[in-house]
Amino acid sequence: MTGHEAQEQFVALLRERFGVAEIPDGNYPLIDARHHFELARVLKEEFDYRIYSFVVASHHLATADANNDGADVEAAHYEVATGVRCVGAPAHLASWRVRIELDRAIPTLFPLFAGADWQEREQYDLVGVRFDGHPDLRRLMMPEDWEGHPLRKDYAIDTACSPWR
Amino acid sequence: MLTRAARVDPHLDLETYDPGADLMALNLGPQHPSTHGVFRIKLYLDGEIIVKAVPYAGYLHRGVEKLCEELTFIQIIPVVDKNDYVSPMMNEQAIAMTCEAMLNIEVPRRALYMRTIFAELQRLASHLLWLGTFGMDLGGAMGGGASLFMHCFRERETILALFEEVTGCRFHYNTHAVGGNRHDITSKFSRDTKTTIEVIEKRIEEYVQIFSSNRIYRDRTQGVGVLDGDLAVSLGITGPLARASGVDHDLRRDAPYHIYGELDVNVFTESAGDCFARTLVRLNEMRESIRIVREIIDSVPEGPILGMRPGKSPTHIKIGAGQHYTCLESPRGELGTYIIGGGDNRGASAYRLKIRSPSLHAASCIPYVFPGHTVSDAIAILGTLDPIMGEVDR
Amino acid sequence: MTSLLHGLIWGLVIATVLLTVAVFSIWFERKFAARMQSRYGPTLVGPAGVLQLIADALKMLQKEDIIPQKADPVLFRLAPPCTVIITLAAAAVIPFDENVLAADLDIGVLFLLAVSGLIVFPVWIAGWASNNKYALLGAMRAVAQGISYEIPLVLSAMVPVVLAQSMRLSDIVSVQAETHWFAFWPLGPGLIAFLIFFICSLAEANRIPFDIPEAESELVGGVTTEYGGMRFGLLWIAEYLHTLISSAVAAAIFFGGWDGPFAPGLHWMVLKTFAIFFMIFWIRWSLVRFRSDQLMALCWTYLLPLSLLLVMVSALFVHYRVVNA
Repeated sequence: MTGHEAQEQFVALLRERFGVAEIPDGNYPLIDARHHFELARVLKEEFDYRIYSFVVASHHLATADANNDGADVEAAHYEVATGVRCVGAPAHLASWRVRIELDRAIPTLFPLFAGADWQEREQYDLVGVRFDGHPDLRRLMMPEDWEGHPLRKDYAIDTACSPWR
Repeated sequence: MLTRAARVDPHLDLETYDPGADLMALNLGPQHPSTHGVFRIKLYLDGEIIVKAVPYAGYLHRGVEKLCEELTFIQIIPVVDKNDYVSPMMNEQAIAMTCEAMLNIEVPRRALYMRTIFAELQRLASHLLWLGTFGMDLGGAMGGGASLFMHCFRERETILALFEEVTGCRFHYNTHAVGGNRHDITSKFSRDTKTTIEVIEKRIEEYVQIFSSNRIYRDRTQGVGVLDGDLAVSLGITGPLARASGVDHDLRRDAPYHIYGELDVNVFTESAGDCFARTLVRLNEMRESIRIVREIIDSVPEGPILGMRPGKSPTHIKIGAGQHYTCLESPRGELGTYIIGGGDNRGASAYRLKIRSPSLHAASCIPYVFPGHTVSDAIAILGTLDPIMGEVDR
Repeated sequence: MTSLLHGLIWGLVIATVLLTVAVFSIWFERKFAARMQSRYGPTLVGPAGVLQLIADALKMLQKEDIIPQKADPVLFRLAPPCTVIITLAAAAVIPFDENVLAADLDIGVLFLLAVSGLIVFPVWIAGWASNNKYALLGAMRAVAQGISYEIPLVLSAMVPVVLAQSMRLSDIVSVQAETHWFAFWPLGPGLIAFLIFFICSLAEANRIPFDIPEAESELVGGVTTEYGGMRFGLLWIAEYLHTLISSAVAAAIFFGGWDGPFAPGLHWMVLKTFAIFFMIFWIRWSLVRFRSDQLMALCWTYLLPLSLLLVMVSALFVHYRVVNA
């Protein structure tokens, strides 16, 4: 199977089983948060995408109402991108994005991929997104008693901190 | 002696573990001669056997990802050099590849050849450093390990001299740019490279002999730190670690980039998954790197090395909204960059930049692999996991 | 009175000579190790760096004396000097030349082995008194290793005793001077006994590949973690002294001591001691260390039965008058 065929297979899967209509240029489609775990499970168990590649969370502030007409406004949200890869040729990377509101949590992928343990902890630590069902969601990079999540857009890079405790 | 379960529970509750055992909590690090940088592992010991190992990362966290949201794409190349500080070329190439993919810039053939040569030489240098420090972990800084360390570094210095010839720096080169390379290679570089790898090839055979024929080395590494292949891929571990556990996966062969698609890259796997297997895989990779460099060093095509007009201002590379992830095969596994464009200054900085570091995934297997081994084994295993703390913590 | 004076003078002579030799052997080891590793070693202080160790000793003497708050105040201070004292005491019976030795004891070999066996105690006390988990692990390993390897050490040292039919070291050397060096005749028991004695001395002196008590890459400093300055210097010198004395004893009981043609006995003794000492350096800078359970397995499953067998074989040799006919 070539990379192109694997990509077609992934697109077909999304369209048929998860009702994703629009896939921009074939990759990083936006998936509903309810399908997040199921998609990962199907990819791992039915299509053998066993390598846990990455999870990236980013914080998006609410967009301003430019035209003052109520449209073009998006609430503040997190965007979590996940990528899994199949072993051996063609090593196709299946990746998707999920958007959730700031007060909601996204289901964890730990039951499927053991690597989700630390990767999700890191995204919680740095961005603040919570993962439902994670066995041990605590800070990874920052000290345990740190306040705030550094990679959020409302956290200034020169926020005062006291390194001596 | 504890019997090792098929999959150890990393979140073992020590309260219910064994009321009769007298557990001692020992902190391995963050100041320790063998933790490969600042890394702390809290070991719970029953005598000398480890019952539970809890790693704590983040001692070298420098906020690189946050910094990359402030700096422009030109400025972040020397900054990410310091992530995987043992093989800096890989970090630069990962960033450059992602930016080029997002901007649809075609990198000239000459630059692609150069990137491949640099990547393979960097892999060789990184594995040499790993071998030397692994010897030190096994045998101590005052002993046989130090001899192996000095010899490996002697070889590595010759490779760094090659890089110095091209870029002017032994370390942290800033030679890759979005669109190609900044420094060109000469025919003198080709001649020197050929001489250097000739010498290193002979010395690698000596190292292979040390490992295969010395009884003490074999006793310390065979059967120690067995990592199951399924657990490895589930954790996201790729590279020599996964290949030593039987996972036949190499991005150079399976998802080629640079000019790997035109080369035949031999991928070496072992099935044992122990420290000895990882050593063999890395030694074989060293030989393979030499073979690849020798194959292409003389057929580098002429032409430009930068695929776009070099700009005068730091903000001349702008990436609009959108996201992309590319990766390459670093000496430790899949090193990738995920960039969300559309950041400050009309896209001159990234909105979010994440570096997918293979060492963080490798370090996360510690709670699974350590239990059941002694403290000496723990150091040997940590050596073969080859975590680079700059990459783990960023 | 004269015996007291005799003892004092000899004690001073041995202590001075051996300590100086041990210090310069450290210089030699550093140069030798450096050459093995494609580098030079100490070159700046004195011609070829010979005075480097003097500089290091002066540096160590002027360091701040740091004692952990919770460390045992008496035992922490007591342990390093005791290692040196006990090691030097064992040197009293080494025959440097015909009739040139401090104490020509009837029970020479027994005294030597008994005193060497005591060296485990200060090392263990050093680790225990430090109140540090790494030191504790190192101390426990030192005890396990020290007392295990003592048994094949004693048994392999019994082979020359049986062959010479005397425990007096000067007798053992004289018998070798008259007949053959025990390492080479009877062929087999002698050489294997020397090898076992050699391996066990490495283990007793905590030299690589048996240096798990101070395994630097695992236990930071092992037994010596909390020690700094001259206290560490004493522990370090004691290790070299122990190695030197074991080499001298091995030279005496297996290789004929001062026996040799053309040159005075003392020269031969020194040559043989340093030949064995050189082998110990070479091994140290080439091999990596054992794991503790592998080390124990080596002792109990290989060295112990073999040394028992050797004692029996050499007794049979003597009984059937193959030796000392």
